[in-house]
Amino acid sequence: MSDALFRNEPVSSTPYVADGVSISLAAPLKRYSLRARTAEALETVLNVKVPQKIGATEGGIACLGPDEWLLRTPAEAAMPTGAGLPVAITDISERSICLVLEGPRAAELLMTGCPLDLDNFAVGRATRTIYETVEIIIIREGADRFHVEVWRSFAAWLWTAFTAAASH
Amino acid sequence: MILIHCPYCDEKRPEIEFANAGQAHVARPLDPSSQSDEEWEAYLFIRANPRGRHHERWRHVHGCGRFFNAVRDTVTDKFETTYKAGEPRR
Repeated sequence: MSDALFRNEPVSSTPYVADGVSISLAAPLKRYSLRARTAEALETVLNVKVPQKIGATEGGIACLGPDEWLLRTPAEAAMPTGAGLPVAITDISERSICLVLEGPRAAELLMTGCPLDLDNFAVGRATRTIYETVEIIIIREGADRFHVEVWRSFAAWLWTAFTAAASH
Repeated sequence: MILIHCPYCDEKRPEIEFANAGQAHVARPLDPSSQSDEEWEAYLFIRANPRGRHHERWRHVHGCGRFFNAVRDTVTDKFETTYKAGEPRR
């Protein structure tokens, strides 16, 4: 309850609906930055499967780099700290927010400012990239649904850019 | 837009995801205090400025975040090859 009282989101909680695409703010998530030299080291600590290939996702864990993973989970589950082991597990839940782009024009909307070829971006893939000048993480949740992770301080600008692009 | 092959992501990615990080294979002297002023100056400031084939460090900053080395032609801006940091000069 107190969480809801003090939470102050940088973008509107009312979805923006345009022709063929809707932009909405995702419910608050827990996010963890997972760093380790190998996926196996994290698997030992977390006791779940960790994707090996950069760009792959598995069970809410996205592999962003050769030693970097992002775990997104709605649950308030207790996380192991990995103390004493060669891994770093950092809570970054409030660093970013997640915008959900949904609809047949979702990929087209993202490609207005993102240079990746999202028509050939498989469902289930995740990557860090850039929209105009703002760093984002794209997670393709479905053929017509993208999750866009963006740092809070850039979120208001990105929302404006997305809604402006969607209205054209 | 130029597509640059990231050796870690193992795919071609748009150039605005990358940042140039200067000349590659500039090794820091193992014992800096043994260096003369001239040698230290050469390590810190003196860089090749070739016309043509150039070894450079690049960083996939808006991607996997890794530094890697690239061979780029400074005239045509064409990337001849890219390889992981730590691998021998190509």
